[in-house]
Amino acid sequence: MMPRLIALKLLRLVPVMFLVTFGTFSMLLLVPGDPALAFLGQDSTEEQYQDVRADLNLDAPFLSRYFDWLGGVLTGDLGNQLVQDGFTVLEGIQQAFPITLELAVVSIVMSLVISIPLGVYTASHAGRALDKIVSGTVFAIISIPSFVAALLLIFYFVFNPDIIRYPFLVLGLAWAAWLLYKWYQRLVDPEEGASGIYYLVLAAVVVAFTLWLFNAWPSFSRIGISRITSDEGIRENLQDVFLPALTLSLTEIAIFTRLLRSDMIATLQEDFILSARAKGLSSRRILFRHALRPSLFSLITLSAVAFGRLIGGTVIVEQVFALGGMGSFLIEKGVATRDYNVVLGGVVVLATVFVLLNTMVDISYNYLDPRLRRGRR
Amino acid sequence: MADVNPGGKQDPTLPPAVPTISTGVELASRRRFDSWVTVVKENRLFLGSFAIAIGIFLVVVATQFLTNAGGEVRVPLGIFGLVVVYFGLDSVFKSFWGERFETGFWLSVAWIVLICLVAIFADLLPLSEARDAGATLRSEDENLLSPDLLSKHPGGTDRQKLDILGGIIYGARISLQIVLLAVAIGMTVGGVIGVTAGYFQKWVDTVIGVFTDAILAFPPLVFLLVLATVLPRTPVNISLALSALGIPVYIRLARANTLVFVQREFVLAAIAMGAKRSRIIFKELVPNVALPLASYAFIIMAVLIVAEASLSFLGLGVQRPDPTWGNMIAAGQFTFDAHPHLLLLPSIGMFLTVFSLNLVGEKAIRRWDPRVSQL
Repeated sequence: MMPRLIALKLLRLVPVMFLVTFGTFSMLLLVPGDPALAFLGQDSTEEQYQDVRADLNLDAPFLSRYFDWLGGVLTGDLGNQLVQDGFTVLEGIQQAFPITLELAVVSIVMSLVISIPLGVYTASHAGRALDKIVSGTVFAIISIPSFVAALLLIFYFVFNPDIIRYPFLVLGLAWAAWLLYKWYQRLVDPEEGASGIYYLVLAAVVVAFTLWLFNAWPSFSRIGISRITSDEGIRENLQDVFLPALTLSLTEIAIFTRLLRSDMIATLQEDFILSARAKGLSSRRILFRHALRPSLFSLITLSAVAFGRLIGGTVIVEQVFALGGMGSFLIEKGVATRDYNVVLGGVVVLATVFVLLNTMVDISYNYLDPRLRRGRR
Repeated sequence: MADVNPGGKQDPTLPPAVPTISTGVELASRRRFDSWVTVVKENRLFLGSFAIAIGIFLVVVATQFLTNAGGEVRVPLGIFGLVVVYFGLDSVFKSFWGERFETGFWLSVAWIVLICLVAIFADLLPLSEARDAGATLRSEDENLLSPDLLSKHPGGTDRQKLDILGGIIYGARISLQIVLLAVAIGMTVGGVIGVTAGYFQKWVDTVIGVFTDAILAFPPLVFLLVLATVLPRTPVNISLALSALGIPVYIRLARANTLVFVQREFVLAAIAMGAKRSRIIFKELVPNVALPLASYAFIIMAVLIVAEASLSFLGLGVQRPDPTWGNMIAAGQFTFDAHPHLLLLPSIGMFLTVFSLNLVGEKAIRRWDPRVSQL
């Protein structure tokens, strides 16, 4: 059953990828006008012109050109970059893709780390003031375009770090104070059951972390990125990746939090939660041990979809922060100079990754939710 | 694209029936809080008007009087004033129309109506020159003026002495035209194809599904980039490119809705009465599917506005001299520190529009999409 289903899904990819490559190819090369001329501009020598025509194989008929190119793609040859002489498209992509990948991974991890506690908190305090504030903010964040978010983050984190740094200190200490107050309540009124020592420990951790980060506040860079493999090491790399990844995370955090909140609210109304409460389990234990896991199902699958979307969606952020990933590669080396080989290669790679990820999500649905398996023909 | 409302889940802002877990101490403080709430609710009109007055006062102080203070004081104060005004309005409206009045929703509707009206009647408004840099070359105005609500340039001016407020309004006009055309094309084309797929099913559905998957295989912005490489960057072309993003989404929506309606009794009755295929599709199915599709138009418009602005921001969309929100923001991005208004004002205009469309769109979907409202 299962292998057959996977095979069917993968088989469906063949016509899809065929259409994707054919569509991109014909969109780029069937438009009116001479692609070689569009690339070179009006004042080019006859020699240059013939060179480019030969490079793009423009004299062959359209279909044979397409299949030549497709054959090249299948054997890992994406052609030469027209602008940067001597570099193949594949080399450019090998340079650019790791950056995009790292950006996507870091921002997905960041989104999950932030949105899961937020979602749990808002769901368990649904309808209260803080829940309303968080939910409202989260809804507003969805409406902020990424380039505006990026510019605002640059303004606050790079140029005016103190505007973030001091409120961070105040908020951290205030949180610790609130935790101490909780601990004190437990001390005065021991009937509450849950051990108060947890709050004391947590308060100490929060204070320590706040003070440490306040002192060692990293300086983020406006543009550029140092690679993991470079001499500066991973610390420098993470500092450079933090702001772009945070920009990308904002929307994802908002979407994830909303999803987890509504799923968790539904879970909290189930009977097994009621019985757990009747047994006298602490609310923390109920939330994290009993309610969280069944609520995570759609969040995990959505985060895989989001990962695919991030890989193809880093274009703007890469441009703003000048990161040199796939987006910058596409725009600067491809679209801006009308280098068709680069655009074709970049788009095909991005679309393939995107499609493969989505198919994997599709298949994993069938593993995770047995109800879907029976419904299929 | 449709990820704005992931999973089509029911509205999480509904008052939930979750029994929250609370301690005795919290309960006591909550009771005290509740008694405050009752006092406020009994004097809504008076307290609300008072709050509006205070809020407006704060905004006026922030924008007009504190001209010597820096942005780090004025901006938070202005925002705080606006929040106070919002709660005042909320209070006053609720005193008139009852506790269930949704102030946020109606303010969003008001903003959408306002932005549409100013976009339509932009030529009749007393705006300073916002498009032709040649015309402002000889004017006595200064360039890079800061915003001043009571002056000739309420939103300030940019490097070419062009009016920012005018730019925002003309930008809204271009954005809305492009996006409306794109949504209209997407809805008609995608709707017809989707209904066809949902009605005929079998191989028609498979073929259409593969085509849809192929378009959706492009990351949205990358798809726009490919088109921007080859098409001349005119508004109509950008509309067409954006509609290509909307079509697959509409195909899926129309197909899913058709699958719901095909099973209904009135379709069975039509088949039993010997109605022709075309009659069933156009007289029975399309009118029923049209409303749910239209209810998604708001959210898709919001997504496309951002997409269009992103293209303009990258310099691949509508070009100067025509101002758009995207190219105005791009022009202001490197002087954010010295002249924040160049970037902030168009951003705020776009944010409010997108936010309102999202809010109205969610409500519309909940109201009119049978697949969601069944929940």
